Amino acid sequence: MSLCQVNMESRKKSLHYFYEKVVVPLGFKFTPDNEMMNFLLEQEVILEGRHGIPFCPCQPLRNDRTCDMQIVCPCIPFHRKHFDDIKRCWCGLFVHKDVLDPDKLPQLPPKEVKNE
Amino acid sequence: MNKGFIRAISTSEIASGGMKAVELDGSEIVICNCGGKYYAIQRRCGHMNAPLDLGTLDGIYLTCPMHCAQFDITNGEALSGPVPTDTGQEIPPPSLGRYLQNIGMLINHVRTESVRTYPTKIEDGWILIRL
Repeated sequence: MSLCQVNMESRKKSLHYFYEKVVVPLGFKFTPDNEMMNFLLEQEVILEGRHGIPFCPCQPLRNDRTCDMQIVCPCIPFHRKHFDDIKRCWCGLFVHKDVLDPDKLPQLPPKEVKNE
Repeated sequence: MNKGFIRAISTSEIASGGMKAVELDGSEIVICNCGGKYYAIQRRCGHMNAPLDLGTLDGIYLTCPMHCAQFDITNGEALSGPVPTDTGQEIPPPSLGRYLQNIGMLINHVRTESVRTYPTKIEDGWILIRL
């Protein structure tokens, strides 16, 4: 548990700043769904307050550092092939830069992705 | 006009994106150059007093070199607490393990506070700071 009183909006803004620098060179961007983006960033701030690290809000922690570090947001580099196939990251905070309607992108696990 | 402001350093002493520590009237201060805009904050981290000028400045966000707590240099606000460190897979000798455990327990009780900021102004190529 973190002993740091964090202002939710300030932290969301700073995470947005840092994440953008990572995901844009990877060909991704923040989801255009602002409500979803704000909700997911908020969950990450809560997780960061709890664990000290902003983990992906949609993937389970396994208490194994090697596994858990692969779901630190933005986790795109660790799941590149999968996320490139589904054109979004697992939680949907990031989508491929050419995506306009994120609602059309299903959250498919790797084994259900049909590769052409 | 400049009441309370003290001449600190020349603007040419800090490149854009850089930081410099100064001591003014006994106060340790870090001056940050954020794209030509200058901010002054207390030098000591709001977590465990590490010197923030040895950290990383990215835009308006400063990351402490010791435990990676982050601060907004425009208002000194603490944005995150310390990041847990990786002690690795190797099991330390018992005496060192006990020491690290003790330190870890103590650190868990340390609150991360926001840091103080100071008004700045530029005059004749000098950065002035009001304490």
